[in-house]
Amino acid sequence: MTRPVLEVRDLAVEFDTENGRVRAVNNVSFSVNAGEVVGLVGESGCGKTVTGLSLLGLVPSPPGEVVNGEILLDGHDLLKLNEVGMRKIRGGEVSMIFQEPMTALNPVLTVGYQMTEVLRLHKSLSKRQARNAAIEMLGIVGIPVPSKRIDEYPHEMSGGMRQRVMIAMALSCGPKLLIADEPTTALDVTTQAQVLDEIVRLQHQFEMAVILITHDLGVVAQTCQRALVMYCGELVEAAPIDSLFASPRHPYTQGLIRSIPRIREHKIDRLPVIEGMVPDIAALPEGCHFADRCNRVQADCHERSPVLTPSAEAGAVACWHPLEPQHD
Amino acid sequence: MAAVPETIVFVAAPPRQGLWSKAFHKFCRDRAGLVGLWVVLLYAIVALGVWLGFWAGDWADVTGPKWGPVSAQHWFGTNLIGQDIFARALYSTRTAFELGLVVAVLSTFVGAVFGAFAGFFSGGWIDELVLWFMGVIDSIPFYLLVAAIAFSLGDSPYAMYIAMIATFWVGTSRLVRGEVIKLKEFEFVEAAHAIGLSELAIIFRHILPNTFHILLVQATITFVAAIKSEVILSFLGIGIQDGMSWGLMIAESTIEVLAGFFNNFIAASLLMFGLVMAFNMFSDALQDALDPRSVR
Ligand SMILES: Nc1ncnc2c1ncn2[C@@H]1O[C@H](COP(=O)(O)OP(=O)(O)O)[C@@H](O)[C@H]1O
Ligand code: SF4
Ligand SMILES: [Mg+2]
Repeated sequence: MTRPVLEVRDLAVEFDTENGRVRAVNNVSFSVNAGEVVGLVGESGCGKTVTGLSLLGLVPSPPGEVVNGEILLDGHDLLKLNEVGMRKIRGGEVSMIFQEPMTALNPVLTVGYQMTEVLRLHKSLSKRQARNAAIEMLGIVGIPVPSKRIDEYPHEMSGGMRQRVMIAMALSCGPKLLIADEPTTALDVTTQAQVLDEIVRLQHQFEMAVILITHDLGVVAQTCQRALVMYCGELVEAAPIDSLFASPRHPYTQGLIRSIPRIREHKIDRLPVIEGMVPDIAALPEGCHFADRCNRVQADCHERSPVLTPSAEAGAVACWHPLEPQHD
Repeated sequence: MAAVPETIVFVAAPPRQGLWSKAFHKFCRDRAGLVGLWVVLLYAIVALGVWLGFWAGDWADVTGPKWGPVSAQHWFGTNLIGQDIFARALYSTRTAFELGLVVAVLSTFVGAVFGAFAGFFSGGWIDELVLWFMGVIDSIPFYLLVAAIAFSLGDSPYAMYIAMIATFWVGTSRLVRGEVIKLKEFEFVEAAHAIGLSELAIIFRHILPNTFHILLVQATITFVAAIKSEVILSFLGIGIQDGMSWGLMIAESTIEVLAGFFNNFIAASLLMFGLVMAFNMFSDALQDALDPRSVR
């Protein structure tokens, strides 16, 4: 049994907003094993980014605050670290890549400057050593002629190149855990596939754990071993990819799977989208938050909130009336 | 898709350029700005020559008769005690550059640092403090402030410098603060946090370099403001304390003008006017070239 690199227990994050205090992440528990790629999926606004940021202690504060939970990296609680301790973790043991490769690199600094900065911060390297390490890393992520491109400014590179630079930066200090927040959403489809392949390849090469945040279950299917489905700040289902797609247990997961575009069928037919609106997290309904959109809803769903409960198939689901597991 | 003809006329893809190279090209197309720059450089050479002792070393010597006329020896004539007006006007160019550069550099630096801190921690106590401080300085009349500083420093030659820096940083600081408030929401700032940089490193290494275009324009504006204020302050007797300046020449000329002798006044005014004009032209062109809205 592989030991988890990361264990999150009962994480809760709140924000002060005009409509009062809202809980953007509630009661989230999961773990990630070494060498595993875990997908965190859900519709926009469900709390994926906030979850990712809280792992690095980067929840903007104010207005945000981690109000509960433990974040254990190799058994050590990150929430107990002070700012200086946390800075050593960021970019070193845990790194993060962001959605917008166009804006995530500083426009007035060269790629080389930005890359050597991380390396020199976390490893005691000389300028020359850091530069060589940066060039090597750029080569590893598939940037041609890295010794030349290292001196370029971000605007001289394409979106895909920049995202590769971001990945190179994130991996340069050999992190145990990489958090990739919608790393390919801003890219065109071809580049998207290349960058995802790259992440998977590097994940093998560096034997690190990856949390891949995305709103796109298609991306999860392509890259992850396990998925966590999030809705309104809570995990509603967690399962290995195969069983998740073959036999989703939560009605929300089923809805998400049905709405993945099927390109192979040549023409994209009107996708069955999940009916109804995501409730405002400032005014969540009693009971199951999905009840207003659920096709399996029953009277008791409105009364008691379902909690994530392990099921027989190595997964877990938060639903009073889950779909039956399919065996075939 | 329509068939593509075999011979394709290659339309060059718009070159990807940064703000600076675009700004440079734009600036080079601006006639007035270029003329301004050349004139400023000419003045700078004059100032440098004075500084190196090539010319105008005899500005304080009595070399001719009282109120001597324009001649081959005294190009602009002599003043009421027989000193060469041309030499004094040249020497004053050095004074103007010294003042302009020191005040522009230091007040831009102070404005950048305070503005960056206020903007980065906007809404917090640092911001409140800086805003309050800027409000206080804005509410003190400039000439009163100079007089107060001159008085409290016991007529130190630095009083005017200090007063100008203490006043001029505010404008720069407000602009930088606004820009930093915008910049800190950019993803690259979050990314900088995510690699473990300290807030100081993020402010100085990642955010401030992005305000450099503002700082450059502000420095040129401050340079001109310093030279213009010097005239009035020197005229009031709280400006340049030793040495010579256009302001002091104009102050000196008040007696002469009553006697119908204008050389001193005209020489100082013209030279100052020329530099201020040229610098304004340069500054305007720079501003246009660096304006991100017009670059795009
Ligand atoms: N800076 C913030 N201020 C206030 N509320 C925030 C902030 N960031 C996130 N939230 C709240 O957290 C919720 C989840 O946001 P986020 O994690 O970004 O969603 P996503 O799943 O799309 O990444 C949002 O709906 C919003 O209500
Ligand atoms: S608990 Fe009820 S309402 Fe919620 S998802 Fe399950 S069946 Fe639907
Ligand atoms: Mg997000």
